[in-house]
Amino acid sequence: MARAARFTNRFDLVLFGACIVLSLVSMVLPPNLREPVAGSLRRSLVAPLVRLQQSAEKWRGAYLAAEREELRRDTLALAAARVPTLESDNDRLRHLLGLGSKLQWGFIPAQALQGRGRIDDFTITLSAGSRAGIRERSLVVAPEGVVGVVQTVDPTMSIAILFAHPDFRVSAMSADGSAFGIVQPHLAKTGAAATQSSYLSSERWLLELRGVPFRSTLKPGAVVYSSGLGGIYPRGIPVGVVLGEVKTAEAWARTYLLRPAVNPAEISSVMVLTPQRATSGLTNVWAEIGPVDSATKRIVTAGDSLARQAASAEAAARRAAIDSAVRVYRDSAGRDTARVADSIARAIPGAPVVPRAAPRPADSAAVRARRDTTTRVRP
Amino acid sequence: MNWGATIRTVLLCSVLVFLHYTLRPLLAWRASADFLIIALLLAAVRVRPGVAAMIGFIVGLASDSLALGAFGAGALAMTLIGFSWSKLKAVFFADHVLLNGFFLFLGKWVYEVVMNVVERRMQGAELLMQILVWSSLSAFVTAVAGVLALMALRPVLETRAA
Repeated sequence: MARAARFTNRFDLVLFGACIVLSLVSMVLPPNLREPVAGSLRRSLVAPLVRLQQSAEKWRGAYLAAEREELRRDTLALAAARVPTLESDNDRLRHLLGLGSKLQWGFIPAQALQGRGRIDDFTITLSAGSRAGIRERSLVVAPEGVVGVVQTVDPTMSIAILFAHPDFRVSAMSADGSAFGIVQPHLAKTGAAATQSSYLSSERWLLELRGVPFRSTLKPGAVVYSSGLGGIYPRGIPVGVVLGEVKTAEAWARTYLLRPAVNPAEISSVMVLTPQRATSGLTNVWAEIGPVDSATKRIVTAGDSLARQAASAEAAARRAAIDSAVRVYRDSAGRDTARVADSIARAIPGAPVVPRAAPRPADSAAVRARRDTTTRVRP
Repeated sequence: MNWGATIRTVLLCSVLVFLHYTLRPLLAWRASADFLIIALLLAAVRVRPGVAAMIGFIVGLASDSLALGAFGAGALAMTLIGFSWSKLKAVFFADHVLLNGFFLFLGKWVYEVVMNVVERRMQGAELLMQILVWSSLSAFVTAVAGVLALMALRPVLETRAA
């Protein structure tokens, strides 16, 4: 028994030793001898396993390719979704460049970061500060018009209130200078609850032009500009467009509701005017009020003349229609009268003779039928 | 080991070899489970040490045939592991799953160390990093996979009496 156990132990050790020796020999085999051994293994024992591995790697490759394709599709969809935003940004930056070229000097371009909280709804953070030349109460403008005014200045950033901020005021006037007033935010209601609801309301972003003399009226669509009387905003920056009159308790002045010139959702890049630039005037930058007014008048006049032309053409057509109707009526009436007179004359020899109307050059079938009927009736 | 147990062991080892050449390429993890090591453990605890060494040699040489840079290194490592497991099975293995997991970890780690040292592709800090981090991680994943496989296959496995 012990002998058998010794034999099996020796057999195991011999096998183990043989395997170790063969492994070491395999390791030190020269490449020309190693390759035939490995090749024969690859072609026989390992071949099905290699095929399995190849098919698994194909599956993985297909999965990765599908994933890449999906990512590519997502990327394209994302890029396509971003195109309108990019176009809008591009358009806005082009307008800003146009404004910069008109201003020529004394402006600081800045990025406007809008507040995220409800309290910060009416303030914006500007990416430029006192180092760039921004001072307190500097004007913030956009290509469309008034944005707000700088309230706090730090070295690298500043905070400005928007036109919808409760503290915002600007002296304004109509394009022709006939109506003046003060533009302020449209705070329709008062009280905490009203403030809560008005914050959430889109009307909260509207403006009011208050204190307009009662004799001055503004039509909806009229543009309102800063008048330059307040001391902060120079003359000629668009503030808003008249939407309509608001009825208030003030009997001696009118109040108009304005749509802001600048859409608050599109405030992303703005210009901050230096105090020197603001005091030097902004004529010819946005719109020349005089030419705008005269252009408006010309458009209205042209519209009036076109309307006059259309009215006169319509009147002429009506006149022609009435004349032709009258002529037809007169012709038929004249013929009937003559026929009746003829019959009377024949029946009564002494009766007066009514002069017959001139015969019609064209004899219609209806007239002929009527004439035949008259002939047959005659005795 | 009777014929039924032999056939079951052969089938399970075949399944593990199949997984080694299908699941590993699909997952393509840097530290992936080595199902050949798990198959070797299953076989080694059921056969004589000499036969376990021979199985390890054949499996190692087959895997080396696809990696000519270290031809024979895998065979050497697998031979050592197979023989050791078969020798130690009576002392340590019993039927404890965690102990099996520890030996799987140790076996895979030794295999990785032998392969990395013999291949001589890495040296110095890189070799140390490979052995301490990636080889350990791979050994851990192999041990976890092996423990799960042993727990799942326990009803159909029967360990040879010591």
